[in-house]
Amino acid sequence: MEKYGPTRRGATKRPADGGARADAIVVEDLGRTFVDRRGRGAGEVTALSGISLRVAPGEVHGLLGPNGAGKTTLCKILTTTLEPTTGSARVLGLDVTRQSRAVRRSIGLVFGGDRGLYGRLSARENLWFWGAMYGLRRSELRARAELLLERVGLADRADARVDTFSRGMKQRLHLARGLVGDPRVVILDEPTMGMDPVAALDFRALVAELREEGRTVLLTTHDMAEAAAVCDRVSLIDRGRLLMTEDTDAVGRLLSRYERVVAHGVSAGLADRVGALAGVVAVRHEADRLEAETELPSATASVLAVLAGEGVHRVSTARPDLAEVYLHLVGRRGMAVT
Amino acid sequence: MYPSPFHLVRYGVLNAVADFKATYTWRSWSFGWLGRMLAQVLFFTGLGGMLDHPGAVRYLALGNALMTCVVDTMAVVATTSGERRAGTLSLLVASPADPMWVFAGRSLHWPVSGFATASVALFGLGPFFGVTWAAAQVPLVLLLIALTALGTYCVGLFLAVLVINVPRLRNVVSNCAYLAMMGFCGVQVPVDFWPRAVGAVVQAVPLTHTLRALRAVSDNRPAAEVFGPVVPAVLTAGCWLLAAVVIFRWLVAVPARGAGTLDLSY
Amino acid sequence: MSLFMAALRFQLRLAAHSPGTLQVWATAPLFTAVFLSIAEHADRTDLTSFAVVAPTLMGQWALALGIAGELIAEERSQGTLEAVIATPGRLSVIVVGRILAVSLLGVTTMAEAWLVAGVGFGRWIAVPHPVVLAAALLANAAAMAGTASIMASLFVLMPSARIVQNTLTYPLYLLCGVLVPLSQLPAWVRPLGRVVFLSWSADLFRAALDEAAVSRPAGRIAVVALLGLSGYLIGALLLARVLRRVRRLGTLTHT
Repeated sequence: MEKYGPTRRGATKRPADGGARADAIVVEDLGRTFVDRRGRGAGEVTALSGISLRVAPGEVHGLLGPNGAGKTTLCKILTTTLEPTTGSARVLGLDVTRQSRAVRRSIGLVFGGDRGLYGRLSARENLWFWGAMYGLRRSELRARAELLLERVGLADRADARVDTFSRGMKQRLHLARGLVGDPRVVILDEPTMGMDPVAALDFRALVAELREEGRTVLLTTHDMAEAAAVCDRVSLIDRGRLLMTEDTDAVGRLLSRYERVVAHGVSAGLADRVGALAGVVAVRHEADRLEAETELPSATASVLAVLAGEGVHRVSTARPDLAEVYLHLVGRRGMAVT
Repeated sequence: MYPSPFHLVRYGVLNAVADFKATYTWRSWSFGWLGRMLAQVLFFTGLGGMLDHPGAVRYLALGNALMTCVVDTMAVVATTSGERRAGTLSLLVASPADPMWVFAGRSLHWPVSGFATASVALFGLGPFFGVTWAAAQVPLVLLLIALTALGTYCVGLFLAVLVINVPRLRNVVSNCAYLAMMGFCGVQVPVDFWPRAVGAVVQAVPLTHTLRALRAVSDNRPAAEVFGPVVPAVLTAGCWLLAAVVIFRWLVAVPARGAGTLDLSY
Repeated sequence: MSLFMAALRFQLRLAAHSPGTLQVWATAPLFTAVFLSIAEHADRTDLTSFAVVAPTLMGQWALALGIAGELIAEERSQGTLEAVIATPGRLSVIVVGRILAVSLLGVTTMAEAWLVAGVGFGRWIAVPHPVVLAAALLANAAAMAGTASIMASLFVLMPSARIVQNTLTYPLYLLCGVLVPLSQLPAWVRPLGRVVFLSWSADLFRAALDEAAVSRPAGRIAVVALLGLSGYLIGALLLARVLRRVRRLGTLTHT
């Protein structure tokens, strides 16, 4: 029986290209267009354009963006179910287009929602079935299924038909299904879609375990909190373009550069003065309410000083959260984000 | 090592068993399904009773009884297209396994059900219409039924992968295929009733050959006439299966990856 | 009446593109060819009309049964079931209107079968009694809608009834003389078949395509219409029970 855990990871070979690139996922200038069949005329829709991305082995990488940003298209390409139009993508050094069969052996795919399981089979049978798809033999297969059922907390419902499962249970089984081939790279496409909050928390713990085992995880989500909680690095993607890739912590630091001062009882003249201060990026003034965005900690101090000097006391400062940076970067597209 | 076809078929059978259990109980299969199929045999054989044509009733009874298993095996078209609906098709494509063998395994309950239906029709209903069997012939008849079920199952698999991207056509295609076989493969009238071109085309259908063999058994003809058609039956079945594999791999999976018609989540 | 026409028009629009209709249109010529080949091979050209009548009734019935099986669940899923309950309109009118639409559409299979007999087999069938045929076709379509409306409610009230759905095809065709006339069946079967409108319709269609004068056409058409009407009444009664359940439990299902 195979063991789970980091020890096995340590023994893995370097990628086929000689180890020059040890990254688990390498995406270079990747593009994908679709022919738009809905419109009259042969229009093309660009789903991805010029994406370059590297994910280190053992990294949990978040792919963050609103619906329709191109996250799922990237997942499809990495899981070999869709070919790129331009550029290349490699998983563990294997090209997803030319070495697709070999890529499939080392990846596990999980997507959110109710689909992708056989409702008439039990949880255990589903895992047997999918394990067989990854070439597992009888005893190995059974042992792996038991282990995974235990791990996702479905051991006591192992023989129940999946049709009877709640959404959260299906989602956990989905995750077990994605791990049944013992993949070194796990691709999670909106895995918490439709999950209840408790299940979503359990899910975070599971991703942490995957990291401890040394698996590389690519997680797409439009949930900032989820990305912030589980990812080592996040990439922001919007309208098919990669906006930035940063350490989750670095994004946090980036966030801390920005501050916001909100004050009430501010006249238009005072607002203009605040806006003229060095390091103040933006000012909004409505009725007597002022909102000033600052870029440097010193600027915040000078804004506060000016306001205090004019006798304005209803003042608060706040740091924008990841969500707000996200909004800054993708533009204020409001509803599209949630 | 990649999973072997045999391994994949075996685990595909998990789904076959579950599907069958979900569709039928012992009672609903016997009274619902089997009853309907036997009624179908009587329906067509009944016309023979009006014909005043020697041998017509027996000819129709034997043909339509064997034909019952094809109705079952054509259901593979619908169950295969279910993979798409369940969202499992893209996961299968993303796995190292060849989905074709999964399809082959996951609908195996249909040829088994077909084998049972046709056996009841031939042995239970046949004798009322002059289709009788000596004890020694029974194993041979069972073998020919099994061959018919598996052979037409291969035809069904071919059709299944053909329409996997157009699920709304699944029932149209399977019904037309089944009626075309019923019309032109020697079930109701000898193949040579039809224009020569039709006669040539139906040589590609395993049913044409197994039916000829079964009629030879029934008429106590020499062994050569019985076993002769078995070879083309097996060969044509193999060709359909091969065609299904090729079609799926090169005309479905590869273009779908190019065009992006395999959906992950929605 | 406007509700009825609206339902009918709605279903006609839907059905023209539905896979079920496509299937009936695709299979009717094949059925005709199968039946005709049997008759022709035995040199029984007098049975040509049989090969046209049976595919018509089978096609119409398949369409009617198909729509009946999914109609109420569909009305509910698209929210129209509740909407209709809240109006003075009768749901049974919608149900029958929609089934009638597909059974009328199914009449086209007779034209298909007629063409197959003519083009494929060189047997151009004359219609010696066009008025009887037209009246019978209309009465039959109405009876089909009335009768299938029973199924629409029955499948909702008793999900286990779906098990017998299979037996509503060939066993029914056999019992009702859709292909082989009831007069050719054993005497004990005939009373059973006579209860169902299909047997009267099949006889009428065949008679209308036969040179000989049709005996008592008006009376026989009236029987078809009456059987259809009683089907409609039973269907409406069952539908009332369905609606009561929806109001009481807020659901269509037992559990």
